[in-house]
Amino acid sequence: MIFTTPLGLLALFAIPGIVAIHLFRRRFPVRSVAGLFLWGAVRQTPEGGGRITKLPITRSLILECLAALALALILAGARIAPAGVSQHLVVLLDDSASMAAVGAGGESARDRAVQRVLSELDRLRAGARLTLIRSGDRPAILAGPASYLVEAKPALDAWRPDAPHHSMALGLRLALELAGRTGTVMVMSDMPSAARGEPHFEGGVWVALGDPVENVGITAAQRTSAPEDNRGLVSLTLANNAPAAATRRLSVHAGEKEVIARELTVPPGASSMTVPIPAGLPAVRVALSDDGLRRDNDVMLADPRARIVAIDNQLPDGRGRDAVVRALESVSGVTRSAPGTGHLAFVDAATLDQAPAPELWRAGFGRPPASWQAPGEPKDFIGPFILEKRHALLIGMTLGGVVWAGATPMAAGVARPVVSTGDQLLAGVATSATVSGSTSILVNIDLDRTNLIRSPDWPILISNLIEMRRQQLPGPERWNYRSGEWVRVRLDRDPKAQLRFRCGPVERALPAGRLIEFVAPSPGGLLQILDGDELLFEIGVNFLDETETALRDRSMGDSGEAGDVAGVRAETSATSDPLFWILLALAAAAMIANWLLLVPVRATRGPAAPGVAS
Amino acid sequence: MARQAASSSPVPPLIDWPAVHAAASVRLAMPRTPLRGRAGERLGAGTGASLEFQDYRTYAPGDDLRHVDWAAYARSELLTVRLYREEVAPRVDLALDVSRSMVVSEVKQRAFGELSALLACACAATVSDSRVITSPAAAPEPLTAPEHIERFLTCDVNQCAFEGGALPFRRRSVRIIVSDFLFPHDADTLISRLARESAWLAVVQLTLNEEAEPVVEGGRRLIDVEGNGEVDLVIDEAAVRDYRARFMRLRTGLSRAARRVGAPFAHVVAGTPIREVAGALAAAGVVEAA
Repeated sequence: MIFTTPLGLLALFAIPGIVAIHLFRRRFPVRSVAGLFLWGAVRQTPEGGGRITKLPITRSLILECLAALALALILAGARIAPAGVSQHLVVLLDDSASMAAVGAGGESARDRAVQRVLSELDRLRAGARLTLIRSGDRPAILAGPASYLVEAKPALDAWRPDAPHHSMALGLRLALELAGRTGTVMVMSDMPSAARGEPHFEGGVWVALGDPVENVGITAAQRTSAPEDNRGLVSLTLANNAPAAATRRLSVHAGEKEVIARELTVPPGASSMTVPIPAGLPAVRVALSDDGLRRDNDVMLADPRARIVAIDNQLPDGRGRDAVVRALESVSGVTRSAPGTGHLAFVDAATLDQAPAPELWRAGFGRPPASWQAPGEPKDFIGPFILEKRHALLIGMTLGGVVWAGATPMAAGVARPVVSTGDQLLAGVATSATVSGSTSILVNIDLDRTNLIRSPDWPILISNLIEMRRQQLPGPERWNYRSGEWVRVRLDRDPKAQLRFRCGPVERALPAGRLIEFVAPSPGGLLQILDGDELLFEIGVNFLDETETALRDRSMGDSGEAGDVAGVRAETSATSDPLFWILLALAAAAMIANWLLLVPVRATRGPAAPGVAS
Repeated sequence: MARQAASSSPVPPLIDWPAVHAAASVRLAMPRTPLRGRAGERLGAGTGASLEFQDYRTYAPGDDLRHVDWAAYARSELLTVRLYREEVAPRVDLALDVSRSMVVSEVKQRAFGELSALLACACAATVSDSRVITSPAAAPEPLTAPEHIERFLTCDVNQCAFEGGALPFRRRSVRIIVSDFLFPHDADTLISRLARESAWLAVVQLTLNEEAEPVVEGGRRLIDVEGNGEVDLVIDEAAVRDYRARFMRLRTGLSRAARRVGAPFAHVVAGTPIREVAGALAAAGVVEAA
C-alpha cells in the first residue's frame, strides 16, 4: 500500500480523540424503568466532568474508530501499490532524414521504429507509460512525459524524420533525465551508436533499424549569376553511395515551368556538375528523380543578388593609392563610385577628424589628424605586432616581415586598437564617429615607406575592409542556406509592420530591427522574409547533408541492456483505485451503523396526558 | 453512546402457589346490579328459577301452575303467578397488562404473577365464566383453573394492551384490570373506555415501591424497558420530588376516574406479602371473603 498524500495520515489522530471521548464520557449506572416519561425529558445530565473508568469497548467505539481510520486512509491517498506503478518506456527517436530512407522492402527505418515501439509496449504490462523524444540539436518531447499509449500514438504516427545529421547526445541526456530511475531508455536509430559516431551509451537499449540503401543525393548546391553573359549557373555536388554508376533525371523548375530536364549518369562517390540556366530566373528548384531517400533529391536555389560595394579611392597619388587600386582589382563585388557617394572611401588619415557622410565608411592611411596625435615623432616598427585576431579586419593577416613605417604617436582614447606594438597604436577603429552608419578606420602608417603594400597581408587587408563594409549593406548575407544554419539579413530601413518569415509550412514572427537573425528552418524550401505583407527577400533553404545521403552503412541490431527499474508511479485519480472505494464503503457503513445505533428511539405513543406527564 | 438493551425476561413469573392458595379465600365482589350469564349461582337480570321473588303478573295459559299465587287468588279472585329472579354464572374478563414494564424487576415479576394468580383464584371461587384478555387482537382465553393463569403471564410486548384499540370485552361482563399504568394516558378516557358496557369494573395498579416512592440515587442512566428511549439523569431531591408529583397525579387520576364509573381501585406495591395483598384488595372492594 502506498500513500499519495501522507500528510493525510495526520487524520489518524482522530482515533485517540474518539477513544478519549469514550474514556471521559459520563457513564451512569444503568437502571431499567417502566415509565421513563415520569422522570421528565428536560432534566438532562448537568454539566460537569466525568471520571476515568475502564474504557468500554462498545460497538459505537469500534464503529467510530473504524470510520475514522477509513477516512484517514482516504485522506492520505492510500493506494494499492501494484495498481499504481506502470512501466515507463522513454524512446529517443533519431530524427535524422536517413530514418525515412525506404529500402528494397518498401519499409523505412522509421516504420520499423514505430513497430518496435508498439511491440515493446505490448510486451510491457497494460497501462505502460511512454515518453517520445525527437532527437536533434534541440531535442523535443513528442509525447509525454509518461503518457499513455493512446495519447502518444498520434504523435508516433505523425513523426516524420527529416532533420540533418546531428548528435544524439542532447537527446540522450534528456531521455536519461526523463527516465530517471523509473524508466527504460530505448534509442531508435538506423545505425549502431559507434557507427553513428556517438559515445558509448549505457543505461538503455540502442536499437539500430537501418537497412543499406543505394542512394543518390545532392550534397551541395550553389547558384551564381553572370548578368554580363546573360546566364546563370547552378553548381551541384552529387553523392552516389552505390558501387556502380546510377542514372537519374535532373530537372530545373522555375515556378511551375520546367526550364531544364535531362538524364545524367552519376558515378559512384562524389561528383560535381554545373548546369547553366537562363539569367533572370526567380528561385529555381533543382530535382533528381526519386530514390530511397527523397529528402536529398531536390534543392531550392534563390537568385543571388550581389551586394556591390562602391569604392571611392581618395588617397593622394603615390605608392599607397596605386597599391589600393591593385588590391581592388583582385576583389569581386566592388565598383568605383563618384566622390562622396560610395560605401567605402580610402582617404588620407589626416581628414578622419572631419564629419563623414552618412553610411560612409572611411579607411584613413597616413598620419592621423593633429588632434589625435600625441607628442613625439613618427617611428618605424618591425614588430612584434599585437593583432586583434578576432577582428574581421585582421582575418588571415600575420604581418610577418612587415616594417610598419611612420607610425605617429597617438593620444589615448581616440581609437580602439586592432594592431599595436608596445603602447603604440598602429591601426584601429576611431571612436569619434558621430554620424549614423559611418565608421572610420585608421591605419597609422606611411604607405610610401612601408613594405606592407608589397606583403601578402595587403590584399587581405583591403579585402577584409571591403567585406566588413559589404556585411553592413542591406540584404541577406547569403542567398542559399542549409537547414539549421544561421540566416542573417540586414534591412535598409526600420520595419513598418510585423517582420516574419514563411518557408513552406513553417511561418514565424521575427523581432523588429534592421538586423534579422534566425535559424534556417527544416524541411526548407523557398524562404520569404516579409514586412507585413510586403515581400522583402527570398532565399533558399536546403537539406544538403552528405552524411544523411550516404546510406550504405546502415545496419540493424540491438545493443545495451535495460536495467531493472521501479516503474513510474501512476498518479491516477482516486476513483481508479479499488482501495478507495473499499475504504469509502467501509467508512459509510460504519457511520450509518453508528448512526442507527445512536439514533434516539422515537416515542410511538401518543402525547402524554396533561395531568400525568409534564 | 451505546444504548444498553433493557433486560426483560420472557419467562412467566414464578408463583408461590401454596402461598396464593393460602391467601385466596376470597371471591370477586359482585355488583348489586343484575348480571348476565349462563345459569349459575348469581342472580341474573331476567326472570328465572331462583328462590328470590321478583314480581307478579297475570296468569297466562301455559304458565306453570306451581307458580300461581293461590293466596292472592283467594283474596282477589284473580289468577296471578309469582315471578322469581333467574340465577346466572357471571362473565368475568380478567384483563392483564403483559408488557415488559410488568417484569422490570424480579420483585415486580413475582408480584405480578402472584397477584394474577390470586385474582384467578377469586374468579374460580366466584363460579364464573372467566376469561383472560391480554391483547386487543387475540380472543379472550377461558380460564378453567387458576393454575392456567401462568400461560398468560409471558410479558414480552412493548406496549400495554390498554393503550391500543378496544379490548375484546364481553357485554355486561365483570372486568378486572391489572396493570402498572406507567404509560402516558388520560385516566378518565382510559377508565371510561374500559368500563364501557361492563357490569362491573375493578382497577388494580401494581407498581414497585421505587416506582411509587423513588429515593435519591445520584446519576443513573434510565432506560425504558419498553424501548421508549433512555436518559442520563442525576436523581436528586428535585428529580425525586418532581417524579413523585407526577406519579401521584397519575395514581390520583386513576382512582378518581375509577370512582366516577363506580369501580373499586386498588394500588398494590410489589413485594407486599400475598396475604396482605388479598386484604388490600378486599379493603378496596375488589374481592370479598368467600
